[in-house]
Amino acid sequence: MTFDRKSFLYRFLRHPSGLVGIIIILTTIAMAVLAGWVYPDGPWTIAGTPRQWPGVNQAYPLGTDSLGRDLAAGVLHGARVSLAVGGAAALFSIIIGTLFGGVSGYYGGWVDDVLMRITDAMQTIPSFLSAIAIVGIVGASLPTIVLAIAIVSWPMIARLVRAEFLRLRTYDFVQSCRIIGMSDFRIIFGQILPNCLAPIIVASSVLVATAIIVEASLSFLGLGDPNQMSWGTILGNGRSALRSAWYITAVPASALVLTVLALNLIGDALNDVLNPRLKER
Amino acid sequence: MKNTKHFLHRRTFLAGLAAGVALPSVLGISGGKAFAQAATPVAGGTVTTVGWPGPTYLNAAITTAGPESFLSPKFFDGLCGYDFGMIPKPALAVSWETSEDGLKTTFKLRDGVKWHDGQPFTAKDVAFTFMQVIKVHHGRGRSLFADLQTVETPDDLTAVFVFGRPAPAMMKALDGRESPILPAHIYEGTNILENPANTKPIGTGAYKLTSYERGANVVMEKNPEYWDTGKPYLDQLIIQYVQDPATRSAMFESGQCDIVYLNFLPPLDILRLAKEPGFEMDQRGYETSASSQQMDFNLEREHFKDKRVRQAIAHALDLNWINENIWHGFGKPGASPLHHEQKEFYTTEGVPSYPFDFKKAEALLDEAGYPRGANGVRFEMMIDPTPYGDESLTVGEYMREQLRQIGITAKLRSEDYAVFIKRCWTERDFDVCIYTAAMGADPTIGVQRFYWSKNIKKGVAFSNGSTYSNPEVDALLEASQVELDPVKRKEQFVKFQQLVMADLPTLPICETTRATIAHKKVKDYTVDALGGALGNMANCWVEA
Amino acid sequence: MSTLDPVAGVTAQKRGRLTRFVTGPLPRYVLRRLSQAILVMLLVVIGSFILVKSAPGDLVDVIGGNSDMTAETMELLRQQYGLDQPSYIQLFHYMIKLATFDLGYSPLNAAPVLDVILGRLPVTAILVVVSVTISMSIGTVLGVISARNVGKPVDLGLSILMLMFYATPSFVIAIAFILFFSVFWNLLPIAGFATVGTRATGLMYAWDVAKHLVMPVGALCTFYIAIYGRIGRAAMLEVLKLDYVRTARAKGISERRVIYVHALRNAMLPLVTMAGLQVSSLVGGAVLIETIFGLPGMGRTAFDAVSERDANLLLGVLFISSLSVVVVNFIIDMIYMVLDPRVELA
Repeated sequence: MTFDRKSFLYRFLRHPSGLVGIIIILTTIAMAVLAGWVYPDGPWTIAGTPRQWPGVNQAYPLGTDSLGRDLAAGVLHGARVSLAVGGAAALFSIIIGTLFGGVSGYYGGWVDDVLMRITDAMQTIPSFLSAIAIVGIVGASLPTIVLAIAIVSWPMIARLVRAEFLRLRTYDFVQSCRIIGMSDFRIIFGQILPNCLAPIIVASSVLVATAIIVEASLSFLGLGDPNQMSWGTILGNGRSALRSAWYITAVPASALVLTVLALNLIGDALNDVLNPRLKER
Repeated sequence: MKNTKHFLHRRTFLAGLAAGVALPSVLGISGGKAFAQAATPVAGGTVTTVGWPGPTYLNAAITTAGPESFLSPKFFDGLCGYDFGMIPKPALAVSWETSEDGLKTTFKLRDGVKWHDGQPFTAKDVAFTFMQVIKVHHGRGRSLFADLQTVETPDDLTAVFVFGRPAPAMMKALDGRESPILPAHIYEGTNILENPANTKPIGTGAYKLTSYERGANVVMEKNPEYWDTGKPYLDQLIIQYVQDPATRSAMFESGQCDIVYLNFLPPLDILRLAKEPGFEMDQRGYETSASSQQMDFNLEREHFKDKRVRQAIAHALDLNWINENIWHGFGKPGASPLHHEQKEFYTTEGVPSYPFDFKKAEALLDEAGYPRGANGVRFEMMIDPTPYGDESLTVGEYMREQLRQIGITAKLRSEDYAVFIKRCWTERDFDVCIYTAAMGADPTIGVQRFYWSKNIKKGVAFSNGSTYSNPEVDALLEASQVELDPVKRKEQFVKFQQLVMADLPTLPICETTRATIAHKKVKDYTVDALGGALGNMANCWVEA
Repeated sequence: MSTLDPVAGVTAQKRGRLTRFVTGPLPRYVLRRLSQAILVMLLVVIGSFILVKSAPGDLVDVIGGNSDMTAETMELLRQQYGLDQPSYIQLFHYMIKLATFDLGYSPLNAAPVLDVILGRLPVTAILVVVSVTISMSIGTVLGVISARNVGKPVDLGLSILMLMFYATPSFVIAIAFILFFSVFWNLLPIAGFATVGTRATGLMYAWDVAKHLVMPVGALCTFYIAIYGRIGRAAMLEVLKLDYVRTARAKGISERRVIYVHALRNAMLPLVTMAGLQVSSLVGGAVLIETIFGLPGMGRTAFDAVSERDANLLLGVLFISSLSVVVVNFIIDMIYMVLDPRVELA
């Protein structure tokens, strides 16, 4: 399935949720990109008196946290971490999920059976619990967190891709590829996969959003990378000061909610634009 | 709630937070009978408290973990209690006498005491508890009573402890938390660790067990047959286990719990509530549970073999800032391997100190042969904070920033508790590790383990993890174990503090202090050195 | 067979029906599902066993670290718990015990694993059942209202609400709940399952439990209300376009009846699927909510079992929770059949 790029972009931007979503996400990306310029010393520098409310000191527009670190620096650098984790985790889970789902759906039979039972097993264990276990045991670092999120979220993609493959493999063009002796590898990646990109793209925006929430939840539980300040890290830090300085929790929470919201808006818009008939899940 | 005691483990129940300001001594105190402000105690009522984590057992004779330490004294009595200043007072023992050579201590036991199941308490129970339970299964008791050869029981109400060598620290370890007396008729001849009575306690204590829901709560009720007639005043005592400190805070503030011990609320909330009219903060009653935050240098690592590097790092940290901003004033900046609550032995006189001074730190590093490289970096190192409580991690975050300024690139590593223990004390694969540990009622019980070369034990957590070995220090520690003369013993510990702080294998960061915060209607929860957390709560009552 | 003998005939007929029942689609389906389920549960048990055992540090390290143990005592404990044996032998022993439904002993709770789990199952079960019921019914109703008013301000308003629910992490909602409902307004109890220490029974007890569950259930539900709402809206819109709905309308059947009887029945299918997913993510997955509200459910138990390396307890929890997930999925398949007879069992 190919689409006219211009008309796609046009339709996407005309979609109200698409427009709002993309504006918010672009802002977040800008924050992530500019973080290093605006706050070159990073988010950890202890800048001033702890717990200065926003607006009290002009040097710290969003206030300072419990250790006197600039919250604005934290939110900007946090955008980097949260987006990076979300993007990377989504990418990995799409890769794993596509491999599993594609192979499973294309070959069927016992291969399908085995791979689907593994997928079942993965889905039987509550995903957040597995993520906690993996991060706790392997150690909390950014790569581990990305990997853990990818490991628990690929089954969803695998099912989606498998369903598409099951549908597409009976189509004529696949049959003809087989007849002309094309290798399975080329059929899977060269022929079928490009035709089920639309649902994968739609799912990926939700996947990024979920990954960002999972990362924040892990950090909230104290399982974040101690060398990277994400929004979840600030949220968790602010928790014990909730009653005396609630803004420390509120500031990163708003950033988080807005970003997740935007990603879902984009997902909705993509869904409508790419495939009007596509249902959720 | 990050960190937030999500990984808070059983030992931190006691080694967690703490407090340092002057005591708001509103209550009139004295040895057990006089009460506050002429108010007469009223019998009846329920008091609810919160803690975390939940216990494994309901007695502390077979474990030294925190949750058990809280519960045990309610169900069980020790031979002694302790008045403020750790002065022993009668409990199951009414009097005691130690022979001149320190090898024999005779306890006269209280008459007419009954176990919760109605059986009489006798000297046989005492002998059984010490010889077969404490000496065998208790983490600290195993070494403290190592030289206890036998407990003689000439009659039902006399127990004579016979030692091979004097054990002066023993007299501080006889309470219902450190050495609870178990019923011999229930435990004798059984597998002590798996005896069902471990979760259905039968003691002589002020409270009996009503119900226990694992990981959720313990409900206790008044023991009407308690030997201390008329006590306890409360009908019911409840402890609920709630993991999130901020949730505990909300429970307390909204009146769903009446009293919170051991800094189980976030320090900022304790300080905020203490200023409000309906609440009261009390810092007394934690004399046996002094704990300090400290950092072990791994002396097997090239960089840290050099004393000057360790001292440079000490100079780079502003311990006052840490005390104020990370411990929120619930502590004193670390100045000695001992804790300031160990008043008899604690000193800072003649003890080397390392005031905050970047220039000095840089000079020491230059001198030690670690000049700044082309990129301004001297060397890189890893910091391992204990994965529970906010404070270890936060100190790590602060330290990383401070070290950056003297040219050391530090990173933090976060792993779960089991991995942390394994890494630091079994594999010794760390540069520095930060933790908070109990210092004990006596330095021999709690402090010696970090510095004694005979306690470099692979696989044993919170042993001598820096692998510090100094014959002079070893000799002092070994002498103090058996020294009966308090003056000489003090001299030994003074010298010990001076030597260790000069060598600095372990950097004391904060000598933490604790606080109890209570609704004002709860009275007399702290009446002696053990307080409500580690005492029996028999004197506590609620205003109607 | 002779049709002359009426008795034999009846028996034959009966036997036929019985045979059909035994070899028919339903039992074959049940068997197939059962064997699949057993396989999945085996994978879960072995997988998590490998995870716990490959982790550095064991149970005794944790116990020792908590209670100042000596090296000798720790060695003794390792022997007592069989931790000194190679992992594959431990797994083998575990599997043999599991075959006799013996879940083993949890040293950190000083109790058999089954006792620990049975103590915590009710909390989780009530939490899951109530959350699923509430979020599904509210979500569905909101979805239907949205679909009926598609394009109108009501639809837009609801869509925005759904998005907010969807985007706000449950722990943020939980914190806000506690702050407002308990600290500021003092309306609801915060922690636990019921008031501890009261001896309330019957209705008073139920009322007490209900009050305790308002906030945790609320925090668990918001996200799922959003999901049900969105799925419900989409499914409803799709169904409303179908011929039979048009026919029903054309026949003059009341709009209410068309929507709630004819259309909703079909629109329920994706919602029921979602309910299955929600159950599996809630059994043991509500760690954050259980943590914040001090509820000792399966999620916390599993979390603690992992961090304390209590392999028996972890495997026990996962075994029971995967069992319940399998059962729920089976029930959902049955509901599917009732809702849509065209669905075949495969």
